[in-house]
Amino acid sequence: MNDTKKYGEDRIKNSGNDIAVSIKSVSKKYKIRHEKIPSLKQTILKLKRATYEEFLALDNVSFSVKHGETCGLIGPNGSGKSTLLKLMAKIIQPTSGEIIVNGPLSALLELGAGFHPDLTGRENIYINAAILGMKKRNVDKKLNDIIEFSGLERFIDTPVKNYSSGMYMRLGFSVAINVNPDILLVDEVLAVGDQAFQAKCYKVIYDFMKSGKTIIIVSHDLETISDLCSKVIFMKDGKLIDMGKPLDIVAKYRAYIEELEKKRIIEQQRTERKKIFKTVIEDNRKVIDGEEISKLSNLSIDGETINRFGSGDAEIKSVKLLDEKNKQMDFCKYGDNLKIVCEILFRETVKGPIFGIMITDPKNNIIYGTNSRLNNMKTGWFKKGDLVKVIYKQKVNLIGGEYYITLAVGYSDNKTYCDWVNNIATINVINKNIAEGIADLDSKINFEKINKKK
Amino acid sequence: MFSAIRTLFSYRELLFSLTKKELKVKYRGSALGFFWSLLNPILTMLVYYFVFSIVLRAGIKEFAVFLICALLPFNFLSNSVNYGASSIIANSNLVNKIYFPREIIPLSIVLSNLINFFFELAALFIVLGIMGYKFYIFLYLLPVVIFIQFFLVVGMSLLVSALNVFFRDLQHLITIIMMVWFFGTPIIYPLSMVPERFQFIIKINPMTIYAAYYRNIFYYVKYPEGAGFPSAPETLIALGITLLIFFIGYFVFKRLEFRFAEEI
Repeated sequence: MNDTKKYGEDRIKNSGNDIAVSIKSVSKKYKIRHEKIPSLKQTILKLKRATYEEFLALDNVSFSVKHGETCGLIGPNGSGKSTLLKLMAKIIQPTSGEIIVNGPLSALLELGAGFHPDLTGRENIYINAAILGMKKRNVDKKLNDIIEFSGLERFIDTPVKNYSSGMYMRLGFSVAINVNPDILLVDEVLAVGDQAFQAKCYKVIYDFMKSGKTIIIVSHDLETISDLCSKVIFMKDGKLIDMGKPLDIVAKYRAYIEELEKKRIIEQQRTERKKIFKTVIEDNRKVIDGEEISKLSNLSIDGETINRFGSGDAEIKSVKLLDEKNKQMDFCKYGDNLKIVCEILFRETVKGPIFGIMITDPKNNIIYGTNSRLNNMKTGWFKKGDLVKVIYKQKVNLIGGEYYITLAVGYSDNKTYCDWVNNIATINVINKNIAEGIADLDSKINFEKINKKK
Repeated sequence: MFSAIRTLFSYRELLFSLTKKELKVKYRGSALGFFWSLLNPILTMLVYYFVFSIVLRAGIKEFAVFLICALLPFNFLSNSVNYGASSIIANSNLVNKIYFPREIIPLSIVLSNLINFFFELAALFIVLGIMGYKFYIFLYLLPVVIFIQFFLVVGMSLLVSALNVFFRDLQHLITIIMMVWFFGTPIIYPLSMVPERFQFIIKINPMTIYAAYYRNIFYYVKYPEGAGFPSAPETLIALGITLLIFFIGYFVFKRLEFRFAEEI
């Protein structure tokens, strides 16, 4: 209670200067070494100069945080959030610009920093508290609070090397929140321990806020950020992208993430497709044998069925099912002559393409497949803009049911495809009860009576 | 520099805390704990007594005492420098995550070694008392000598701890340097043994002068024939070199400390 009051008074005293942290056009350049640190010998003899490139972790960032504000920093990994916290905590120096901090500041960049594994929890509390700038008599006073908060009463005189990582973090957090600074920097350390402990942590942070302290927090947990903060800063590639009310900025960041996610999925599909081509290349023979074709007709990526793929150098524009008199055929009977007519538009020049067809049943069994190459046809050159009509004449030797047509235009290498469309059209065959199954094997049935001679 | 001292003063509790940690960790898990600090010099003396008074017969009376009263101060220096060299790197988790005056890390190493040195001196007093040395005659000089040597040790520790962050093989070099320094200081031999023309070089080494003081305080009180405190100019030169090393160490450290977190 006393502490809270005291800090409250301090704040009134400081009211003439209500800025807690001020960042003025700060840039930070890191040198990324290509090799390990040169040895003394190498440096003296100049045998090898360390080669490095410069990396701009922060690019001319300016903003300020007022006393009593809770400011959230969000952004993708590597956007400079943690660098910014380290600069405010004076752990590193800016390359240019100025950072002004008014009031005692404590940085929670890592919990339990400086814990020594061989020392007990109690001993480490004292060391860790001293590292965080706490006076020994304050630690004496708060020791019981710290131990109670951590919930580690039973293990407090055990060396911390025997702690679980959760216990370690809990002890670290318990010390850190008792330091009681005016300005608190928090870097992703709130996700500590089980839910009950996390709830306790949040309560402490809320109490901090209520007592008028300044908090600057880095988190990827956008719920927490919009809950806790009065102001949010969106960072990307070392630049301050936007700053303002939590809901607006978080929404902007979410939109950015979604956009990124979309791009990622598209990119993934692209590489996935490349992989498919590779499978086809390697298993080419099998493709012709018709074994692996079933895979191509049943492709899926992340549960999403892919019905069409290919480079797009040629595109199957339309497909029609016609009878002998070139009339549209909606149904056909066993024994009908069927013409499958498709139009193909070439978008690039393609040499010797292969036109192929495949017919499958609803269970994806391949009934029949053939192509121009298997029929020893030379297709020749097709130029950009050529429109080609390909006619497959089929005799419907199929028993009744639904069948699907898959069409493809392949390159002359017989390995890769300009366009491949699964199930582009359906053949409905009227069931005439002439047989069971799929194909007509043209059975002739004979029988005769063979009586045993008496 | 004064503001740095003020900052350091405000972090004194951290300094003490880390010093305590160093000492605790050193003896953690050993049954005798701090008694090792007392036991160590006594056992060392027994070994040297056996080697130099019985086997080699160096011709110096009570050689073990002659040696140990110069060896202990030198160990204070060499332990501090050896541990100090790797101290910043060893505490990279602190340097990377928390701000505090960085010199606290090597200073805590020096302080813990200083406390160790005190324990060893306490053991030495006991042995000297038993052996009938009137070591209390010049004892008032001891704090002064230790105080001055402290600056040399701090300067060296600051220098090597900062440089070692940037040139990691310094750590290995230091072992050699400290060995050369050890034999370049009259510890296992008296200064009078050194040929006249080399004495000049040996005397530039401030540890020579300090070792002479320690030896006068402890050893020559019983065998005054070899006694004689270093002259005033010699002492002033040692003092000057000590301060020079201290300031070089301090300024090099201050120049480089901002880059520690990035370099580690």
